[in-house]
Amino acid sequence: MTAWRLGLLLAACFAVLLLAPGLVAPQSPLALNPAMALQPPSTAHWFGTDDVGRDVFSRVVHGTRITLGLVTLSLLLSVLVGGGLGVVAGFAGGWFDLVVGRLADMVQTFPPIIAGVMITGILGPGAANLVLALAVIHLPNFFRIGRSAALAEAQLTYVEAARAAGFAEPSVLLRQVLPNVLPVLVLNFVILFPLALQIEAALGFLGLGVVPPAPDWGAILEQGKNFILVAWWLSLWPGVFVLLSALTMSLLGRGLAEKLGR
Amino acid sequence: MRAVPGDIVGQMLGQTGSDRSAEAALRGFFGLDRPLWRQFLDWLWATLHGDLGRSWYRGSAVAGMVWDAFLVTAELALATLLLATLIGVPLGVLAGIVRGSRLDAAIQGVNLVGLSAPVFWLGLMLLVGASQLLDWSPPFAWSGPTEDFGENLANLVLPVVSLAMLQAAAYSQFVRGLMVEQLGRDYIRAARAKGMPPFDIYFRHALANVMIPLVTFMGLILVQILGGVVVIESLFSLPGLGRLILTGIQGRDYPVVQGALFFVVVIATTVNLGVDLLYGLLDPRLKP
Repeated sequence: MTAWRLGLLLAACFAVLLLAPGLVAPQSPLALNPAMALQPPSTAHWFGTDDVGRDVFSRVVHGTRITLGLVTLSLLLSVLVGGGLGVVAGFAGGWFDLVVGRLADMVQTFPPIIAGVMITGILGPGAANLVLALAVIHLPNFFRIGRSAALAEAQLTYVEAARAAGFAEPSVLLRQVLPNVLPVLVLNFVILFPLALQIEAALGFLGLGVVPPAPDWGAILEQGKNFILVAWWLSLWPGVFVLLSALTMSLLGRGLAEKLGR
Repeated sequence: MRAVPGDIVGQMLGQTGSDRSAEAALRGFFGLDRPLWRQFLDWLWATLHGDLGRSWYRGSAVAGMVWDAFLVTAELALATLLLATLIGVPLGVLAGIVRGSRLDAAIQGVNLVGLSAPVFWLGLMLLVGASQLLDWSPPFAWSGPTEDFGENLANLVLPVVSLAMLQAAAYSQFVRGLMVEQLGRDYIRAARAKGMPPFDIYFRHALANVMIPLVTFMGLILVQILGGVVVIESLFSLPGLGRLILTGIQGRDYPVVQGALFFVVVIATTVNLGVDLLYGLLDPRLKP
């Protein structure tokens, strides 16, 4: 269970950055100071400064809320829509299952990042479009997980018993089946989080994510790309933070999977 | 769990290699969402009636661009697959054999980090490392393998390494799981009981049974790599399919985007079909 504990510890650290970034990094993530442009890491600026003299440490810390928030939001959207459709499709079956299932297949034909590039590329950069793209990419996954879990549950005796006791179908679905499917969806949320985070960062890196000057990790990496050989510190730290938060969620996912006995 | 390959192939064959297939695939893709769907309809309308419609009929131009880009991406993807397999599979087998030991824990730790590191960030760091420590950076211009093989390798080494690390970690994790599962089976215990040497147990019995899921996984990895190349090609300025799609979308050059996307989808589908056909070869029980 050491993986679980390490995951919790890291998660606690990220929670602090998420809730009180100003406490950890009191300097402004947006204030310009051209006189201090591209300074290497020092005691005044732990992670150095960027091309317009902004404190990189502060930008990365304040970026936690933006990056992790956007990924969380998009996966929530995805689990609500995709997982919801999947549970209904698995429980009800029939034409609904068939139609939505084929739609999910089609989305899945595209490698995820390429689908993301298409959606954000066509709609243009911006937080809302980014969330939409990330949500759409992960819909089929939640759909399949929700569907197969609901399908398995629907065949169990307790569902039959609930029906025999006179519960209406929607009520059986919502009050009997859903609570049993929910843990699987939550686990899938945690497992998909690192992947979604990497796609978020990749889209930001391609200039298709959050609009500057917001200190999103992907956006900082995109900005740092142009100075990569003169100011490596601009690119190192946002990547380290992406790595660490992805690692945190992977560790939590493993622990959770063990706890759920899967 | 994956989409039944036969299904996708059916869609492909139903609309044989014309540009309509890419449109149909996109239609399905965008049909999920109302505003996107409208966007697509506008775009389809413009493509069929506007200036862009014309370049559809200069088919050879788009096809030529896509083919040239495909050769670059194919080389990148296959080199990555090779490197990832060479690193990931032995590590996974080793971790499976010594499961529960410190070495196993170490390999799993490395895997987790490898799975968490963003591919393009790894590429950036390799670029910095190579220039600062080795005083070396890859050539700016792309040379194909037939033009200048040395230059070609210099072009490929950093992108391939940064792409392969993630996939090697995924491989290693997957293979470890398979090995652990196989080594817990009764036939392994029987082989041990009759005094078979451990080498034969691991490499002739266990590994043979790991092959089928491994081939499926290889297909999955190849499709993953196809996604990863978009970012890595743009970072290292490689003229592949990913960069063609990205610049195409940014320049609103839809015929090119459509052509390239269609190609990517065809490759992904072909890979899935190829995996299915390989099953028959690897497992005689599945032969029709």
